[in-house]
Amino acid sequence: MKHGAFNRRNALKLMGTGGLGLLFGGAAVRGSASSRSGRVVVVGGGFGGATAAKYLKRISPGLDVTLVEPAKRYYTCPFTNLYLGGLREFESLGHGYDELRDRYGVRVVHAMAKDIDVSGKKVVLEDGSELPWDRLVLSPGIDFRWGALEGYDEAASQKAPHAWKAGPQTHLLRRQLEAMEDGGTFILVAPENPYRCPPGPYERVSMIAHYMKTHKPRSKVLLLDAKDVFSKQGLFQQGWRDNYGDRIEWVGRSDDGRVMRVDADKLEVETEFGTIHKADVLNVVPPQKAGIIAERAGVTDETGWVPVDPATFRARRAEDIYVIGDATEAAPMPKSGFVANSQAKAVARAIAAELAGLDPIAEPGWANTCYSVIAPDYGITVANVYEVHDGELREVPGSGGVSPMEATPAFRSREAAYAEAWYAAIAQDTWGTRPA
Amino acid sequence: MTHPYTTRLSAPPSGAPHPLRRVIGLFAAILFLAAAAADARWERIPEAVALLDGAEPRAGALELDLPTVTQNGSSVPLTVRFPESRGENETVEALYIFAPGNPSPEVAEFSLTPALGNGELSTRIRLNQSQPVVALARTRSGDWLAGTREVRVTVSGCITANQDNDANAMQPRARASQRVRTGQLVDVRTLIRHPMETGLRERDDGTVVPERIIQSFEARRNGETILSARFHRAVSANPYLLFHVDPRTAGGTLELTWTEDTGESASATVEVPSAP
Repeated sequence: MKHGAFNRRNALKLMGTGGLGLLFGGAAVRGSASSRSGRVVVVGGGFGGATAAKYLKRISPGLDVTLVEPAKRYYTCPFTNLYLGGLREFESLGHGYDELRDRYGVRVVHAMAKDIDVSGKKVVLEDGSELPWDRLVLSPGIDFRWGALEGYDEAASQKAPHAWKAGPQTHLLRRQLEAMEDGGTFILVAPENPYRCPPGPYERVSMIAHYMKTHKPRSKVLLLDAKDVFSKQGLFQQGWRDNYGDRIEWVGRSDDGRVMRVDADKLEVETEFGTIHKADVLNVVPPQKAGIIAERAGVTDETGWVPVDPATFRARRAEDIYVIGDATEAAPMPKSGFVANSQAKAVARAIAAELAGLDPIAEPGWANTCYSVIAPDYGITVANVYEVHDGELREVPGSGGVSPMEATPAFRSREAAYAEAWYAAIAQDTWGTRPA
Repeated sequence: MTHPYTTRLSAPPSGAPHPLRRVIGLFAAILFLAAAAADARWERIPEAVALLDGAEPRAGALELDLPTVTQNGSSVPLTVRFPESRGENETVEALYIFAPGNPSPEVAEFSLTPALGNGELSTRIRLNQSQPVVALARTRSGDWLAGTREVRVTVSGCITANQDNDANAMQPRARASQRVRTGQLVDVRTLIRHPMETGLRERDDGTVVPERIIQSFEARRNGETILSARFHRAVSANPYLLFHVDPRTAGGTLELTWTEDTGESASATVEVPSAP
């Protein structure tokens, strides 16, 4: 870029190149773009939706932005494992919408979006009222494919919780752990890819092993997996040995770890080759799909997820609807809170540019950071940067990686502290929550 | 934003085709031909061309179930479904799987008898890069069928470090569904622990781990082979095969044998329930 050519268009291009550009460019466009108007409705107030609403207003304060989210206080799925392990209070995972409303001027509607009128460009709420939009952002997270795993439906989840959405299910699992006799067996059933939070099942068994070590030392953890390889596998397995000896047993698909049937009444599962495992506490992470409102909008495909244009995250199956977060098919980006936050910023830029009549972002970029806490002073991470290459998303070569296999206890301990800092930072960026 | 393909055309008052419509029809024809050519991937696989020996397969007749995107090229689930057959002559007797973007395109070959009821087959394969997976099948009457499916691979599957130790190698598992429903086939799941070394993997010292694979699999009933398979190095570690058996004609004990390229073999038996 030449000096003196720093106009709005170039500012937006610059913003697309990453976080630094965003902070800088966000200020650069404010003056001129604020005169533009347009109605944007964002459905879902999690990492994706709350971030999209906030950044739309930051980039173009003149936009009319409405966020639709049923919960007045939103509890994050990330760090629920730390609550289960006894490292965090549940309330510390809750976030409100005051900053979005008061500081950024987002209109926050606490209601459930029931339907999307695609041709009429309206979101229909459960009370029948309608919110018209020029651009729609869906950040609906996941829903479960009840019954796709034999014997596991919504009723079964009241006995064998999934705890894969923060809330009553998380509390149920915690109560079951507390009620379990010392010497009991906790079984976690992990699904085939893709699903929300790839390292989640492995962090969960780590935190439950920590709970057992401190409260029920004779208890065991069995992880039955539909996969043969998983995220940060070497690091997790090393961390399990270092912190919990042989308390955690992982059984991969080729060792008959794939569960085919669940009996929630008996707390039993049956594997592909016919082994029956009996649990005292049974935690089933079921097969998943995009949040149901994406289906109502008609933007999902036969996989149950939402195909998107990689550069803009506009849904391939609809005009003017953008989809972000866990609901999307965005591999190799994982379904993580950080990715949803990152995609939200890119979408906010894309929509702001489009409504301002500017060129699309030339080189959008995204990032992911996932911390997993194996023990209170033992953390590991994976990080990557993503770009569009030949029309497809890919990891920027050499951009990231995982924690080293060889590391000192002090290193692992620092990463556990960074994990807490990571949570505080992303919660502040997304909802404006100040660290306590 | 308006996309060209959403623009509506109005016919001229005479009722004659709008000139643009003709142009669009021509485009449609070209697109159709392009799509047909895109499906004729076997033409670029010398092994497939040799196999067909001039025969023209029916494109799209085989249904391939594969993930659109996979993050683990070392174990990609594949299911092949055959078209519904009207009589035994239309059932499939031979099936060939190719991955032309791999270092060697052959993945697996299967020889099937009517005892399998023309039921679908599932396995797990290695894909080195994004590519089309191609299947060719021959029916008992000699017709050729084809199917293609594009798969995007974000992590290559051929030189992925193998985390297996060999301690459990050659341990087989097998299970047949014990529930028989009228008119339905029984599924038989088989797996053997095996590293399926591709011969492409290097050790830390730079030396290459030699190729070592399960080369063949056979299912016999009363001494008669009902299914045989030839595996190449693109079959994933711990070769998995799910096939079907017709319980009306082929219930009873199946003897299963896996044979390594070293000549070593392992076997197991599985009971398939019978149906009237």
